[in-house]
Amino acid sequence: MQGRRFDAAGFVFRLLLLAALFITMLLLTILIIDVVTSGWSVLSTRLGDFLTGKLGSIPATSGIGQGLRGTFFIGLFVVVIAFPIGVGAAIYLEEYAPRSRFTRFIDVNIRNLAGVPSVVFGLLGFAIFVNALEFITGPRANGATVISAGLTLAVLVLPIVIITSAEAIRAVPESLREAGFGVGATRWEVIRSHVLPYAGPGILTGTVLSLARALGEAAPLILVGAVTGFLTEGARYSLESLQERFTAMPIVIYTWAGRPQPGFVENTAAAIVVLLVVVLLANTVAILLRNKYEKRR
Amino acid sequence: MQDRHGGSDRTTTRFKAPRLLTALLALTMLASACGENGGGDAAGEEFSGNIVVSGSSTVEPISIAVAELFGEDAPDVNVSVTGPGTGDGFEQFCRGETDISDASRAISEEEIAACEAAGIEFIELKVAIDGIAVLTSPNNEEVKDCLSFGDIYSLVGPESQGFDQWSDANPLATQIGESKAAPFPEVPLAITGPGEESGTYDSFVELVLEDLAEEREKEPQTRPDYQASADDNVIVQGITGSDTSFGWVGYSFYDTNRERLKAFEVAGEEGDCVAPTPQTISNGDYPISRPLFIYVNNQKLEENPALEEYVDLYLSDEGLATVPQVGYVELGDEDLEATRQAWEDRTTGTREG
Repeated sequence: MQGRRFDAAGFVFRLLLLAALFITMLLLTILIIDVVTSGWSVLSTRLGDFLTGKLGSIPATSGIGQGLRGTFFIGLFVVVIAFPIGVGAAIYLEEYAPRSRFTRFIDVNIRNLAGVPSVVFGLLGFAIFVNALEFITGPRANGATVISAGLTLAVLVLPIVIITSAEAIRAVPESLREAGFGVGATRWEVIRSHVLPYAGPGILTGTVLSLARALGEAAPLILVGAVTGFLTEGARYSLESLQERFTAMPIVIYTWAGRPQPGFVENTAAAIVVLLVVVLLANTVAILLRNKYEKRR
Repeated sequence: MQDRHGGSDRTTTRFKAPRLLTALLALTMLASACGENGGGDAAGEEFSGNIVVSGSSTVEPISIAVAELFGEDAPDVNVSVTGPGTGDGFEQFCRGETDISDASRAISEEEIAACEAAGIEFIELKVAIDGIAVLTSPNNEEVKDCLSFGDIYSLVGPESQGFDQWSDANPLATQIGESKAAPFPEVPLAITGPGEESGTYDSFVELVLEDLAEEREKEPQTRPDYQASADDNVIVQGITGSDTSFGWVGYSFYDTNRERLKAFEVAGEEGDCVAPTPQTISNGDYPISRPLFIYVNNQKLEENPALEEYVDLYLSDEGLATVPQVGYVELGDEDLEATRQAWEDRTTGTREG
């Protein structure tokens, strides 16, 4: 693509792009090195204890077992609720809905919803899941349970799931669909065997990004009523424990970061490292799934 | 402001022992607990159920420490402690959602009205005092021993940005008046204190700077250009690092580092110079102090024996021993007596509001 003369403008442009990449990588590296070094004393000496321990007042015996459990269930709710509903809505919008002014109106609204601050979704979750649906989400805990939190965050990421899935479906070449219809396939058959496999990797990428977003949100959880200080229970992975009070990783990090005593600085950093690893694991699973999909295509 | 290094080294039991063993263990622990508390409920009674504590994040560490103690005696009770703030805490409390509301101030008129409207009666219990010491180096011979609120405002208030000599604060101190230490000498002013994220910072601003800042139509905050740290040891290093330093930490931390620090006497609105001691803090003479409360829902108390047990532990010698551990001042004998009496009599309503 290069011309015969030296392309000065192009060279500068390329340098600028490289600088942009470099700055991003540098910031990320600094962040990771910083949290790992300051959390290392905890991670290297009492990792098992830290991963299963409870919230507490003494830094050396506090742990994130309850936070991990809350974050696990929130992730589960997002995967089970937001993903199917979001992908379903996207398929309908792209494949079935007529191209009318009304669908465009809906489309614009979903895009706007994706930009609404998470606190607003927290307020919505507080009004609907914590208060109005208290009898389902947790009558014994005034609705301040991991069910309310999971539903709130599922609603929070729903617009993002719809948008990214719709983009992926829109990127499927029209010729693929026409070929399907040409051999007499129904719309459903075309979607199932052509559109979805082709759009699958894109859909997965979008949904996993939204999962990572949900796992890192603290503001809506504060409004939903996550516990910050102490919980006797809140570490069990059972159905009925869903209706008990809860805490989650971002809340633990947020609370510990505000504690003045020195030991909690290391605890906070270690908790951040663990949350990063959790998100990385979720990403890895998605990449593996995507590779599987791409082979089948 | 907390010093936990000298604190107890209790750890929560996390292993799952066989059922019989657990029951036996629980029994012996309960029996010993009753022995310590001087009797109380019938020995061997198993407690279960939920206790929900919410409110001030300042009181939160005490409630957490007591909950940790409580968990050793009554492992079947689910305790949760949250610290969204005193106001939010009362909102939940007056909707009947919490059993205990932690508060760093007395309940307000509106909050009482909200509780009354919901038919909620409460027992008000003062549990500790939060005091803040204003400090300098023991080698500081230049500055007088007593500061008024106006002096402190002149040195670290929102209008003091850029002052790097004590004397820079003189015009402001004269303007505000009622100074105890002005004119300040022309010596370097090196300030170290807790950062904005700390409860000590909030209390300091609220108790010392807020009224004056409001009067002078400024934001209630400190100057931004001082050395802030979340680590009390760093603050102490900063204060000892210069002979003419200035700083502030929670009282208990000053108390454990007395030989390295010098606390100013402080004159509040009444104008008397008072040195911070456990006595002056707990009787309220020292002006940079505030009482910390828990409010107990009276109806829930009758339905929930575990709640009664928790408050019993809270007010026992063992429970209140956590107060200095997490950085606050213990109640004076009179206050303690009044609190325990109010609890014994189940006196409802506020005596402070």
